[in-house]
Amino acid sequence: MGVHVKRSALAGLSAVFAFGLLLAGCSGKGNGEASPSASGTTGGSAGASASAGASGNAKTEPFTISVFYGASGPIPTENNKIYKKIRDELGVTLKEEYLVGDLEQKLGVMIAGGDYPDLITASPKLTAAKAVIPLEDLIEQYAPNIKKHYEKVWNMMKDPSDGHIYWLPNYGVYQGNYVSTYYSGPAFWIQKGVLKEFGYPKLKTLDDYFNLIEQYKAKHPEIDGQPTIGFTTLAYDWRKFPLLNAPEHLAGYPNDGGVVVDPKTNTAQIFADKEIAKKYYKKLNEENAKGIIDKEAFAQNYDQYLAKISSGRVLGMFDQHWNFQQGEDSLVTQQKFERTYLGIPLVYDDTIRDYYLDRPALNLQNGFGISVDAKDPVRILKFLDTLLDEKWSKVLNWGIEGEDYLVDDKGKFYRTPEMRNQQEDVTWKQANRASSFLTYVPKIEGQYSDGNATDAGSQPDEYFATLKDIDKELFSAYGVKLPSDFFSPAPENRISYPAWSIDLIDGSPAKIASTKLEDLGVKYLPKAILSKPEEFDSVWDEYVKQIGKVDVKAYEDRINEQLKYRMDNWSVK
Amino acid sequence: MQDTVLGSDAPRRTERRTGTIRKRMWSQRQLIWMSFPLLIYIVLFAYVPIWGWLMAFQQYRPGFSVFNQQWVGWDQFHFLFSDEGFLQVLRNTVAMSLINMVLGFVTAIGFAILLNEIRKSLAKRFIQTISYLPHFLSWVIVTGIVATSLSTEDGIVNIVLMKLHLIDSPILWLGEGKYFWGIVGASHVWKEVGWNAIIYLAAIASVDPSLYEAAEIDGANRYRKMLHITLPGIKPVIIILLIMNLGHILDAGFEVQYLLGNGQVVDWSQTIDIFVLKYGLKVGNYSLATAAGMFKTVVSIVLLFLANSIAKRLGEERLI
Repeated sequence: MGVHVKRSALAGLSAVFAFGLLLAGCSGKGNGEASPSASGTTGGSAGASASAGASGNAKTEPFTISVFYGASGPIPTENNKIYKKIRDELGVTLKEEYLVGDLEQKLGVMIAGGDYPDLITASPKLTAAKAVIPLEDLIEQYAPNIKKHYEKVWNMMKDPSDGHIYWLPNYGVYQGNYVSTYYSGPAFWIQKGVLKEFGYPKLKTLDDYFNLIEQYKAKHPEIDGQPTIGFTTLAYDWRKFPLLNAPEHLAGYPNDGGVVVDPKTNTAQIFADKEIAKKYYKKLNEENAKGIIDKEAFAQNYDQYLAKISSGRVLGMFDQHWNFQQGEDSLVTQQKFERTYLGIPLVYDDTIRDYYLDRPALNLQNGFGISVDAKDPVRILKFLDTLLDEKWSKVLNWGIEGEDYLVDDKGKFYRTPEMRNQQEDVTWKQANRASSFLTYVPKIEGQYSDGNATDAGSQPDEYFATLKDIDKELFSAYGVKLPSDFFSPAPENRISYPAWSIDLIDGSPAKIASTKLEDLGVKYLPKAILSKPEEFDSVWDEYVKQIGKVDVKAYEDRINEQLKYRMDNWSVK
Repeated sequence: MQDTVLGSDAPRRTERRTGTIRKRMWSQRQLIWMSFPLLIYIVLFAYVPIWGWLMAFQQYRPGFSVFNQQWVGWDQFHFLFSDEGFLQVLRNTVAMSLINMVLGFVTAIGFAILLNEIRKSLAKRFIQTISYLPHFLSWVIVTGIVATSLSTEDGIVNIVLMKLHLIDSPILWLGEGKYFWGIVGASHVWKEVGWNAIIYLAAIASVDPSLYEAAEIDGANRYRKMLHITLPGIKPVIIILLIMNLGHILDAGFEVQYLLGNGQVVDWSQTIDIFVLKYGLKVGNYSLATAAGMFKTVVSIVLLFLANSIAKRLGEERLI
């Protein structure tokens, strides 16, 4: 009876499946908060640190600090040069853990387990869970370098809710002259070849920009055998800013995220449904009718976007440079230098002064904090304090003199071409640099007291050495020295700048409203841009109507409240 | 299953019966030991975490114990069901699930039957291997392939349709909401058809060959044999799998829709899981995510029992 045997076998099989099903059904929501076991990676350091506590200045006494980075990174090799130097001279061994997967999830697990490494990446989640210790008194008492370093921004670092300092911001504190050779922020980007074709015209307004693209596309309908794309954009996953952020810049506001802030009254309002936004998307709608806009722009994923850019046939887009850099790097590898991009600060009309380039603001909500599990926070702070010393700062930024950089007779640091190439090599970096660590620690930016730039990227001579012919031609045609010279010099930052670093608080109505606004943007803006010109207004009205249904007030109120807080507490007395 | 229940010779006295059960348990002791780890695993990972459902009735903040939270009653559920988008999300989830299920069943069964008819075993194995390989690709890769093939720039689908003169200009497949469900369904079929067919092939292999011989003597051709022997032969497997899949009707998937979706098709692409990610996890509202998960579980269990009892009433194979 073959059938019968099979039936009972099937029964057993299905019983197993049934349990499996229950399992799958129930475990889905459980594992977020009930599996603390995964995060137990940090316990080992406790023993080593316990002994070192008593005598604070015994620097060579071996000491282990466990570290968690909120990003993946080139993982250093066992006998990495820089780590070895730190171990030999300061007696500190770093036990590092890098992020694998999603940060929010990882932090969630850590918090659920209540088990933290000594030095931990900054996150509002951790302050909310009381996982980090207040640092202000310890810094005052034990860390003179850190105190001096943050002197000017001391009040900004305080947590708005309780006035304690939990995080040591990793970027945004400058000394000496700040030279920015490189511009990686937002701009309207255009291929250098397009500018060359028309004799390097000056572009100031959105209309100038699209005129030039139209002319070029009419003249060259194909590039390398494929159709030319006039203008593309991106609204994929979290990378929605190329689509959403342009209007604030065109209207002469700095990057405040989803709002524009009136500098006089220090109040914010969303701009998505305002005239300044409508004007931009209407222009895109017109350009779409002329066939300039990439029809696939809103349906493409990030890889497709990069692939298009690296094919060299996208004439322009609005974006931040780091977001499309991979595509541009590929153009450089292909030796298509004319297809690489120049960023231009467009505005709506001549009366508006562009405000793309900003003075670097303090990178709040970033850097390291010391967790409640750290056995000897004082020793850790002293270690970070030592690293802020110029000697160590040079080791971390430039490397070892004679090996990673040379010093000329005027005392200027420079690198040979071989040394520069080395710096691009990931394998070499794993053995010879402490990249992730450097990203997170408090550090000096700007210039050292001897006049050298704090890192090779901002040493002007180092930058000029990497320029291509087309860059030199372009710069001399426009009479500028650096890409950042195309932008109006950044005015002094508004005290409450930038609004995007405000913590909207997890789960609050403000955060939900902000999510909804973004959702509506990526839903309606493509519709509006791709609609027939005569239908644009009706789609736009629908969009504005939908925004009206969102609790915008909660969002604006939260931002305004925080802007006011900053005004009251951050002003230098 | 009733026919596997112990003691089919029921009218014995209790004493003797207990004795028999002990004896039987003793004789199966290895099997019982072997099932213990599984049992512990299930209790630990499926039943113990259920207490976490308490979170759904709180405004949960991580880092504090569950008893040290603010209780909010049914607020999270209220938010969930009063949100305009949620009904749409529910519609998309159920629709895509049904499409996937129907397409999945029809293609896998059809494919298994056709494959079974191939006489040359080398060709058969070759086709089978090729067809189930995509199962091992991650959805990230598959959606990448799908997006590239559907691209208006150099996507193969548009090129083929253009060359066949079926369309005049490339269609923006991923930019039109009405195509989205179909694309998801087709991607599922491409990825899973070979894999899903395996279980049916195994079922077909266990059909008694003498039945085929008998049918042949009665003059049945190939199609008749497929229709009257193969299909009825694998019917129990089909029903069991159907019941199991019904329990997953609210799991339309997450990766496909998340990775293929974009602003233009959001009205068709957003599923419950994406909604939970956006308004639960990303904004840090774990309670909302828990509430949505609870809702899904309850619906799944109801559907599972419903399908099971229907199968029972129809006198078919069933799960529980």
